[in-house]
Amino acid sequence: MQGQEVDYKIVVDNVYKTFNVYLDKANTIKEKLLFLFSRNRKEKREVLKGINLKIKKGEVVALIGTNGSGKSTLLKLMTKIIYPNKGKIITDGKLTSLLELGAGFHPDFSGRENIYFNASIFGLTKKEIDDRLEDIIEFSELRPYIDNPVRTYSSGMYMRLAFAVAINVDADILLIDEILSVGDEHFQNKCFAKMLELKEKGKTMVFVTHSMQSVKKLCDRAVWLCNGEIKMDGNTNEVVEEYIKQTA
Amino acid sequence: MENVFKNLYNYRELLKTSVKKEVRSKYKNSFLGVLWSFLNPLLQIAVYALIFSLILKNDQPHYAVFLCCGLIPWTFFSSAINKAAFTFIENGNIIKKVYFPREIIPISVVTGETVNFLISTIIILGFVIFGGIGISKYILLYPIVLIAQYLIILAISFIVSSICVYLRDLQHFIGIALQLLFYAAPIVYSSSSIPADYQWILKYNPMTYIINAYRDIFYNQTMIDLRHILIVFGIGILGCIIGYVIFNKLQKGFAEQL
Repeated sequence: MQGQEVDYKIVVDNVYKTFNVYLDKANTIKEKLLFLFSRNRKEKREVLKGINLKIKKGEVVALIGTNGSGKSTLLKLMTKIIYPNKGKIITDGKLTSLLELGAGFHPDFSGRENIYFNASIFGLTKKEIDDRLEDIIEFSELRPYIDNPVRTYSSGMYMRLAFAVAINVDADILLIDEILSVGDEHFQNKCFAKMLELKEKGKTMVFVTHSMQSVKKLCDRAVWLCNGEIKMDGNTNEVVEEYIKQTA
Repeated sequence: MENVFKNLYNYRELLKTSVKKEVRSKYKNSFLGVLWSFLNPLLQIAVYALIFSLILKNDQPHYAVFLCCGLIPWTFFSSAINKAAFTFIENGNIIKKVYFPREIIPISVVTGETVNFLISTIIILGFVIFGGIGISKYILLYPIVLIAQYLIILAISFIVSSICVYLRDLQHFIGIALQLLFYAAPIVYSSSSIPADYQWILKYNPMTYIINAYRDIFYNQTMIDLRHILIVFGIGILGCIIGYVIFNKLQKGFAEQL
């Protein structure tokens, strides 16, 4: 018996990722030619070593681990910003990622224009954005400033707008990297509430975070990455407890 | 391949906004704004007309009209490729942080330049009308030539934009190569004025056929050489496929290279 079919949204299959760390980067042909003769200019850094991970539909997973353990790299691989050296990553469904605040915001455009631009980067059509515009503005609480250029926004406002767009895209998979720490208490709570709501709706989410409190509140599963390998994978409370014990 | 079009269709809104941004950003913050779309080619034509008709005597009738039929399509070609070479380096920030189909960037650069070219076509029309040549029915063939040129430019842009991420020197070579190609195409002179020994240079330059076609439409007012344009068309499609394959291979490393 093979067991019944499970609807996996993200499958990470034996993934290796190595970065070339250039100690001196050769950008020009001249430099490239010169560097042919001098070695040791670059180092290979193995960031992920054979990661296997399957995430089911509706699961909310936290990636935890110390700095440099490969969490963000794994998230970037899932969004297809970078590609693995070995292994495969398969995602199923519309995917939205929030890796950095306001990536793709255009400082001279107004908040409203940036909503359109940002949402279109996530693959929404004009009509879909029109339908969501009210919700996005409402959620961001930026109505009075929505027609000002975003370069006049504070970093908190920036984050609110970025988050409001990402969360209203209605993606099947949401990837979020360490951004919940921005924003005031009130907005954080609001984000939590919204994410719980998305969880209820059966969306799949992956978080990278250092805030164990939010992990416990939101996620049913935690994956602990350590030096590019999965050290522990399982129930949130157990993994977090073990993680705190070992890293304290 | 089918996937490529599906992907582009899904991201059509992004494509649209990027093209708009491309067109708008060109003259943003400049005092005369979109007027530069007209002034730029006009001044260029004035300079070349001055040099090639007054200083280097030449007996082409209506030389300014003759020139503008070659120069304006050429500007479309060269500025699109020049822009494509820089575009990923300029957009590095977005590339590193969000996923979207990367081919949208070169496609919107080329399409944005196409819009600029359409605006500049008004200048050609102005020249033929006020230069006393008039407009012929062959203007109906203009879209065919435009599409052929678009495909050629897109093919080159795919290759150039992706290689430039890895080899930034290429940008400088492109500047020189474009200047060379400028004189290797019948822009400031006519194909027939080139000695037989050197005709091969023109023969292997796709821009020759495109410029000759535009010139047939607007200046000579004769039928274009349809066979030539269809060959350019075919090369354009083939080039786009090859270009896309190269592009797709190289784009996987963009975020790490930028």
